[in-house]
Amino acid sequence: MQEYLSNGRLLRLCLKELRESLRDRRTIMTLIMMPILVYPLLSMAMQRLLLGAVSAPSGQLEYVIGVADDNTARVISLALRETQRAASEGVRPSIEILRPAPKDANANPLSQPLNEPDGDGKSPEANPEANSGNENGKNINTPTAGAIRTNQQAAFSIVVPERTAVSTSLADGQLDLAIRSASFERFPLPNGVSIPVFEFEMEFRDGDPRSEMAMAEFRKAMQLINDYQSAVLRGNRLPASVTLVSNAVGQRVDPMASLAGVLPLVLILMTITGAVYPAIDLTAGERERGTMEAMIATPAPRFILLLSKYVAVVTVAVLTAVANLFASWITLSLGGLGRALLGERGFSFWTLIQIFPLLVIFAAFFSAILLAMCSFARSFKEAQAYLIPVMLVSLAPALVTLMPNVEFSTLLGIVPLVNILLLSRDIMTGASTALPAFAAVLSTLLYAAAALVVASRLFGGESATSGSQESWSDLMRRPKRRFPTPDIGELAIYLALLFPVFFVATNLAGQWVLSIERKLLVNALLLLVLFLLAPCFFAIYRRMDLKKTFLLRLDGTENPNGLPRPVRLLGVFAASCLMAAGLWIVAYEALKLLSDLGFGTIDLQKTAALEEAKSRFREVPFWLIFLTSALIPAICEEFFFRGFVLSAFRSRLHPTRAIIYSALLFGVFHVVNGNVLSIERFAPTAILGLALGFLAVRSGSLWPGILLHAIHNGLLFWLTRFNQSELAEWLGSDSEHFPTAWILASVGSIAIGITVLSFSTLKRSDEVSP
Amino acid sequence: MIVAKGLRKQFMVRGQTLVAVDRISFTVGNGEVYGLLGPNGAGKTTTLRMVMGLLDPDEGHVEIGGVRTDIDPIAIRSQLGLISTNDGVYPWLTVREMLMYFADLYAVEVPVALVRLEELAELLNIKNFLDQRCSTLSTGQKQRVTLARGLMHDPPVMLLDEPTRGLDVVGSQTVFEFIELLKKRGKSVLLSTHRLDEAERVCDRFGLLHHGTVRYEGTLDDLRSLTGKYHLVDMFIDLIREDRQPVPSPTAGA
Repeated sequence: MQEYLSNGRLLRLCLKELRESLRDRRTIMTLIMMPILVYPLLSMAMQRLLLGAVSAPSGQLEYVIGVADDNTARVISLALRETQRAASEGVRPSIEILRPAPKDANANPLSQPLNEPDGDGKSPEANPEANSGNENGKNINTPTAGAIRTNQQAAFSIVVPERTAVSTSLADGQLDLAIRSASFERFPLPNGVSIPVFEFEMEFRDGDPRSEMAMAEFRKAMQLINDYQSAVLRGNRLPASVTLVSNAVGQRVDPMASLAGVLPLVLILMTITGAVYPAIDLTAGERERGTMEAMIATPAPRFILLLSKYVAVVTVAVLTAVANLFASWITLSLGGLGRALLGERGFSFWTLIQIFPLLVIFAAFFSAILLAMCSFARSFKEAQAYLIPVMLVSLAPALVTLMPNVEFSTLLGIVPLVNILLLSRDIMTGASTALPAFAAVLSTLLYAAAALVVASRLFGGESATSGSQESWSDLMRRPKRRFPTPDIGELAIYLALLFPVFFVATNLAGQWVLSIERKLLVNALLLLVLFLLAPCFFAIYRRMDLKKTFLLRLDGTENPNGLPRPVRLLGVFAASCLMAAGLWIVAYEALKLLSDLGFGTIDLQKTAALEEAKSRFREVPFWLIFLTSALIPAICEEFFFRGFVLSAFRSRLHPTRAIIYSALLFGVFHVVNGNVLSIERFAPTAILGLALGFLAVRSGSLWPGILLHAIHNGLLFWLTRFNQSELAEWLGSDSEHFPTAWILASVGSIAIGITVLSFSTLKRSDEVSP
Repeated sequence: MIVAKGLRKQFMVRGQTLVAVDRISFTVGNGEVYGLLGPNGAGKTTTLRMVMGLLDPDEGHVEIGGVRTDIDPIAIRSQLGLISTNDGVYPWLTVREMLMYFADLYAVEVPVALVRLEELAELLNIKNFLDQRCSTLSTGQKQRVTLARGLMHDPPVMLLDEPTRGLDVVGSQTVFEFIELLKKRGKSVLLSTHRLDEAERVCDRFGLLHHGTVRYEGTLDDLRSLTGKYHLVDMFIDLIREDRQPVPSPTAGA
């Protein structure tokens, strides 16, 4: 393997695959031509859609106005008759409805007389000749009457809902508009005639285009009365003929927000399109051209072959994504469509920068899936036959993201494809949240790694050459092992299975309303199942050597120095105690420091609820806390992180690197904390992970690590037994930090621990490896 | 040096067991060309794949240069070269890129590969189109590129799977010259074919395969005395006739 990773050989292998892909005109077509064609077309379609949404209701639509009683209905029909009269006398409305009213006007209740002067400063004038004294509430349409058509086709029918309240009917969508109250009186003019004066208070559904349109049309109809009055009664000081109050009700459903989901979907689809052709071409195409056998017959490891193909597919997919991002950005910025779709900010360059890494992650994930699917296809046709159902099945949940009001909840964070779509949508509308985003990114990367491992096992398998179709079952079959410990591929697969389960389980457990004792027990149980039992079953199923994988021997040093065994063991365990004695203070201080710097998501000291939770926590017997928060986590996490994970990394990597990677993973898993994301826990946990990894590698045994881990956790939880004043008295300061002397002593204790460990496990030869 | 001992491979085809290769043994010395002959379905390709390590034998094993291939099947592949009927080329790569790609796959160092490339280009007369895309090559040119590809890592053992199928007289002639060259360089060559005329021309020894077993083995003279026939073609026809008339088979020489 090593000779393929050095001397730029892997790079050259990747370049070959890239050349093969990029010199193919068909790849270039999807890469360049598609974005150039798709986005202008899409933007034209969208623009039509937006215009259509606005212009359609002004056609032959009839709006239903709901009222509470007959009297209100009578007043409304009276007003509408006034409108008809005004229209028949040739008054032109001063309001034109072109688009839905601006958002801020809809969102706020507005109350204003509608007959304000048309910008020329004149007040309405009365005209005695044109009074309207004859329409006195005849022909009232109630409860349901033929539609009253005002000017220019807008028609209203007035309904008194019989069984339900008006507001309920409005919310259900049975009504387009509800008029809560209506009053009518005649305002006498000095010359003996009188003019009708109306007052209405109406409600409409916020963000519903039809309801908003009904509101606007009704306003327009009422405005006509005002215009008529001001036209014929020029010169008199008059109250407004019609006063309208409109209230937006219900939760605002922004139709554009759901449209904002279209763009990520299109971008993702285009990225997939970019990856599909190279993925098929570099796997099934290789077989079809007859180059597969010669390639498989070389000593190059399959994983390397597949990795180079994977790099090429991801590169093409990312290039496609970039081309599409820019094309969509330019189209949306030029047409002003961006603002219509995504609100005031539009599709800014900053949004583009944020979306890009998501597309890269998605490309990494989907390319691996594509390669896994294509790897056992023998021809282009076969590969396409495999891919089409997969694409359709995966796109069905993607369409869910287009529905309005689909929130990017924490649990959706682990659903592949959907998570990236929702995260992109939220970034575009500027409403992303941290925990689901973290879950989306991490789970997608883990799925990608697992898919890549599966692909490399399927790639060029026996089925490729002999024609038997046993590849999938080969994967599930229990292997004949060549190595006793897990390899990185098995780790990737296990992590891709573990993370979503872990994430969902901790989340659900976090939401459960339970007593503190029960909560502690549930958490401990989760740890037992996911980090101890499941890895053990996995290891047994895959026929691993449990003793070697989980470092179960008490004395695991292979090449011990001359020290007698008891002395050596004493040294190792004393070292782990010394390190534990120092590490908990370092961990506490690091956590505190990070919280003080503002990295904390939960402020332990300031939140009253948490303080209360802490005081209740103090009432829990300490043995229970020690069992569930120190001993069980110590055993389970050591089994998994220093056993399974570290062994897997060590199967291929230098121990130092293996320790670092396992510590990083240890840190990442501690960031998910119930249903909050505690970023500040990453660094302290990773540091602890380094120490534990070093201890495990040097001692060759899991047990000293378990001891260290249990002491460390136990001491940290013991600290929570004290309240603030006790703590301050004890530490001798109010700052909640340990005194400097303590910190220095703890660092010293760690140093001595490491020294003791090093001496007790030093090999006789000069060759020292950590 | 190739030593195959008691190779056996069976496949499951639609629920029925099909024995493709049944306890085949043979030895190919250095500088020797061994012809694996037989009608279609005799088990030639399966045998070659087991030698190559692409298929695990159910029984028996193969030794290359004294090392059993099942000990480290990946490492042994650098000792083997393979040229087969179905070999294709990468249409979008130039000949030079393709040959250098295979040098990388065999982990040949770049300076070594460059020297070897020049040498092979001269030898196989592909110098003129080294920088052309493979898609522009004629069938004969592609064949020569494939032959060069098989030698980029200079393996001591060469496996040829029906290398002349679909080639015209000139193309076949190139292959014969190539085999002569391999022989001269002391490589062990395992040639599978059903073209008996070419086998007679180039092979030192033969193994006649039928239904997965070696029926006759030896030099052409050995075979003539064993079967009583002068030409390979006649020996072959006898073999195939057995299927049609249940005649008791002659004692196998394997």
